[in-house]
Amino acid sequence: MSAPETLAIETRDLSKTYRLGFWMNKRVLALQGLTLAIQPGQVYGLLGPNGAGKSTTIKILMNLVQATSGLARIFGHEPTAKEARRNVGFLPENPAPYEYLTGEEFVRLAGQLVGMSGHELDQRVKEVLGAVGMSRTAGLQIRRYSKGMVQRIGLAQAIVGRPKLLILDEPTSGLDPVGRREIRDLILQERERGTTVLFCTHIIPDVEALCNRVAVLVNGKLAREGSVQELLTTQVPVVELIIEGLGPDAVRGLGHPLEQVQDLTNRVLVRASDVHVQPLLKSVLGAGGRVAQLQPARFSLEDLFLQAMSEAKHGTVGGEITS
Amino acid sequence: MMRPFLALMLNGFREARRNRVTVVVGAFAFGLLVASSLLTNLSVSTFDRVLTDVGIGVMSIVLVLLAVFLSSGMLSREIERKTLFLIVSKPISRALFLTARFAGNMLTLGALLLAMGVLFFGQIALYGTLITQAQFVAIGMLFFELMVLSSIGFAMSSFSSQMVSATVTIGAYFAGHLGGDIYELSSKAESPLLQWVGKATYYALPNLSRLNYRVQATYEIPTPVAELAPSMLYAVAYSAVMIIIAVILFSRRDFK
Ligand SMILES: Nc1ncnc2c1ncn2[C@@H]1O[C@H](COP(=O)(O)OP(=O)(O)O)[C@@H](O)[C@H]1O
Ligand SMILES: [Mg+2]
Repeated sequence: MSAPETLAIETRDLSKTYRLGFWMNKRVLALQGLTLAIQPGQVYGLLGPNGAGKSTTIKILMNLVQATSGLARIFGHEPTAKEARRNVGFLPENPAPYEYLTGEEFVRLAGQLVGMSGHELDQRVKEVLGAVGMSRTAGLQIRRYSKGMVQRIGLAQAIVGRPKLLILDEPTSGLDPVGRREIRDLILQERERGTTVLFCTHIIPDVEALCNRVAVLVNGKLAREGSVQELLTTQVPVVELIIEGLGPDAVRGLGHPLEQVQDLTNRVLVRASDVHVQPLLKSVLGAGGRVAQLQPARFSLEDLFLQAMSEAKHGTVGGEITS
Repeated sequence: MMRPFLALMLNGFREARRNRVTVVVGAFAFGLLVASSLLTNLSVSTFDRVLTDVGIGVMSIVLVLLAVFLSSGMLSREIERKTLFLIVSKPISRALFLTARFAGNMLTLGALLLAMGVLFFGQIALYGTLITQAQFVAIGMLFFELMVLSSIGFAMSSFSSQMVSATVTIGAYFAGHLGGDIYELSSKAESPLLQWVGKATYYALPNLSRLNYRVQATYEIPTPVAELAPSMLYAVAYSAVMIIIAVILFSRRDFK
């Protein structure tokens, strides 16, 4: 690593507690001490189940909500300063552009708000509408748009000012496969241009296809962080066995630590970490079982995700609620 | 700095033009203005006065209602529908967003007032009755009344729903026209506390009767500009305080 560059995004011990109820006595710990460092040029995935605190993180960065404690910086600026949003394009979850405007009018307004005007603005509006595949329908009022079209206009208004940082909250949610593919391609294009991208999602293939770094968030806490490859290779290798002649309970009863036991009618699928496999095989054979198949399990981001979730305190969906 | 402000302000005007309520209310008011002159024409002998009285009265009622409706809903609806996520995430301050929205609101009301004014004076000219300075004063000062009301609606809607904001603003409208009575009542009160509360209420409420020159218009009493200036200044200052309150409340709040 060379001389320290200003981080595109930095958070330190970032927390957000929502207060609810009539007396404001119910508290939702939406985010608990999140620390992230995103370098310029990275495409950074924030992965987590519903209610993990992804949107909360993004809203703090975009100054839509204020953190309860901790620090957040965009290119070194506090979120409350408007300079922090100077080179940033933002697509919120379920974007809601003004319905009485046409797609083109809205993207134009977005351009004016980032300080563009005249010929440059005309050109750029046309360009981004083309890029999101909305050239033909841009003259229609947004109230007539489908969800996918709104999402595209949302993306167009985010990139109209040629941002150095794109913050996207669930950019592909609610889209058909074609739309998802196109949005992915657009993000890849931005990545080629050197744009830093932070996007959050619960769709694992999107992360695998786009990101070079990922953080897994569960219950408002960081569960994993690293480059995608690093995360996959540092995992303990896991082996998958198919056993015949023994029921699932019998297999569990053998007394070895197993990751997963699944009944496949007449056969049992077992996952165990590499170090436990030899003794396990011995016991299975000793108990009269037969090993029909044995192979290394391909470890995917999905396994990592599920593992992180099950390790988390409740392994459930949503922030912690106390009162 | 100026460009985003203008863009947002003009967009507010465009929003109003595409809003069914504004358009219907505007058309209704024009119809009413025309109808009132036709009806009075047939029945009343003091035609000039009634034409002025009814004409400016219609403008006032319609625009006051519209001002309440528009200002009370502007921020609360943006917050509810989350349309403001896409706007306040741009490199602009929330103060700019809010003042530009307010300016757009006043532009809308001003344009409607102007259009109705043109129609009003057109009628006056058509019937060959007198065009007086007092009519201009009443219509001009109505703009300042609309500004004060809108600023109250704005301040309310930066933290509460449209229903609550509209109710409070309508309340302020009526109380604002009774302001003088509250002052007199409180000065007659025995207890100093009551006196103090009454006076505090008097100063907190907008003094709208101060901006009401409709009676003068009806009776063709001219008002010198030097006498109007303090009232205009008062209206601007009152609105500015309301907008500052709105900015303070709005800048700190979470949008969930
Ligand atoms: N406005 C709010 N009031 C109360 N709780 C909230 C609010 N917004 C989010 N939460 C809670 O905070 C937690 C995190 O939410 P969020 O950041 O939206 O999750 P994600 O985007 O990862 O699905 C959830 O438990 C959610 O219920
Ligand atoms: Mg979310």
